[in-house]
Amino acid sequence: MILEPVTYTGGVFKHEQMVEFIEDLGGYIIQRHVIANEVVLQALVPKEDIEQMRVLAKALMGTVTASPLVGTEIAVVSPSLEIHHLPHSTCDVAEYLRRFGAKTNVVGLARGFGKRIANLNVEERDVINEHDLAVYVLGNFEECIHHKFGTLAKGIHVPIVLTGGPSKEALMKCTETPVQGYVGGLGRFMHRTKKPEEIAKLEELAAEVARVLDVRREEIAKDPLSTMPPKLMDVIVEKMEPLEEVTSPTPVTVQMTGIRVKLPYELYATQIRKLEIEDGILIGDICEVLPCRMRNYIVVRIKPYSETKIIV
Amino acid sequence: MEALDYFQVESPEAAGAEYYKQIMADVLQDLDLVKIISRLHIFVDPKVPVFVAVGTIRKLPGMVRVRDCGNVKVEEGRAVISIGDEKYLSSLLKVLSDTYGKQRIDQPDRFTVIVTGEGIDGRELEEIQVADPSEGIYRDIIYAMQYGSPEGFKVRRQGVSRERFYYVASEDTLPEDVVETLVKEKFSLMGVPL
Repeated sequence: MILEPVTYTGGVFKHEQMVEFIEDLGGYIIQRHVIANEVVLQALVPKEDIEQMRVLAKALMGTVTASPLVGTEIAVVSPSLEIHHLPHSTCDVAEYLRRFGAKTNVVGLARGFGKRIANLNVEERDVINEHDLAVYVLGNFEECIHHKFGTLAKGIHVPIVLTGGPSKEALMKCTETPVQGYVGGLGRFMHRTKKPEEIAKLEELAAEVARVLDVRREEIAKDPLSTMPPKLMDVIVEKMEPLEEVTSPTPVTVQMTGIRVKLPYELYATQIRKLEIEDGILIGDICEVLPCRMRNYIVVRIKPYSETKIIV
Repeated sequence: MEALDYFQVESPEAAGAEYYKQIMADVLQDLDLVKIISRLHIFVDPKVPVFVAVGTIRKLPGMVRVRDCGNVKVEEGRAVISIGDEKYLSSLLKVLSDTYGKQRIDQPDRFTVIVTGEGIDGRELEEIQVADPSEGIYRDIIYAMQYGSPEGFKVRRQGVSRERFYYVASEDTLPEDVVETLVKEKFSLMGVPL
């Protein structure tokens, strides 16, 4: 069963019908936002049932759009959290990627600015590595990017998409170790992205991120995971009652190879390991439950089939 | 950015210069400095690295006095100020309290301030200084250069006078003679002798 990432937008009235419909099809709801009278559902739905979903959406006066980034967590790395980079361009990038269904986190480096003095500390490196992909939002000069990018990307093993003021070709030339994606003409600026050409750049970035993630999905498919992350999310949400008291918008964040559970590791890790997924298979059998570098959360990494010889 | 008489950004990287022109234009607009700064020349060389901004400032408006805020009418035992411009009202009330004492100042309605007391000299009252509009402008200019310049250029040297300003920043230490030569050179490019 191939699951397609989609976003349903519609009214609150009778939206439960859509929720039940997705669940009956064997799909998963990754995130549900209720904003005043509007509901936004980010979901993974079986590919062959999308048309049926559209029919129901039409009856409920809602819309279904493809969101290639649903079910991914992306780090938007900014050289600092100073006015030079925030809110534009870093927040503009983070916000735009959210429109395609991604869960984005802005990672503001402590000392990522400057040409010679830029560096990445161990904590920052580990936090970035806990995501599915990192978007580096750098500045306008080739010379600076050439000098600092090597340092900022050191030890990062997740795919990187680099953005900067110089053209795509210039960016490719100035990075010694090639990265997975490049978007040129999107460097440092001090105004909100409103012009059509600026929006087009953000569209280009979203497309590049989706392309890089597709490559990653293909890699994962060669040695499939023992279970699907949304399925794991459903099990944890259903069985972990303390999650009801978590105020975060996504108490359980779905990633491509695992999930992030926003509960303290010391108190709940053992309980999570002992949860049953199906037919007596426990989470601890097919996943690694690790302490997260972001606060004291829990990261659950699903092991591949080659390690566990189990698929649930 | 038509309001500036001269605005140039110079850099060995042409694309970078274009971006920085846009950044500085946005910063000046955000801080409402477009009408204050008359000429601005910026030089950024990421190879050195160094950022130089030199510019001239337009003539700033003079001191705001009580007569600029409203009409003063001296009556028996009191002076009535009818407020025409509310912009500096809070400063006006503070200055009057400091000068005459708080118990003598009354504001019965939004546009009237009364100073009670015998023998108030109307002329003298009109001439009291209320606020200096140029206060904060020099600080704003340096702040604008600071946040327009590339981040990480923490070593800096700056100067502001009534007519001109300069701001030099780098990641590395800045020898004094280099700063002087650069500033002089950039001022002369704008046609302003130092």
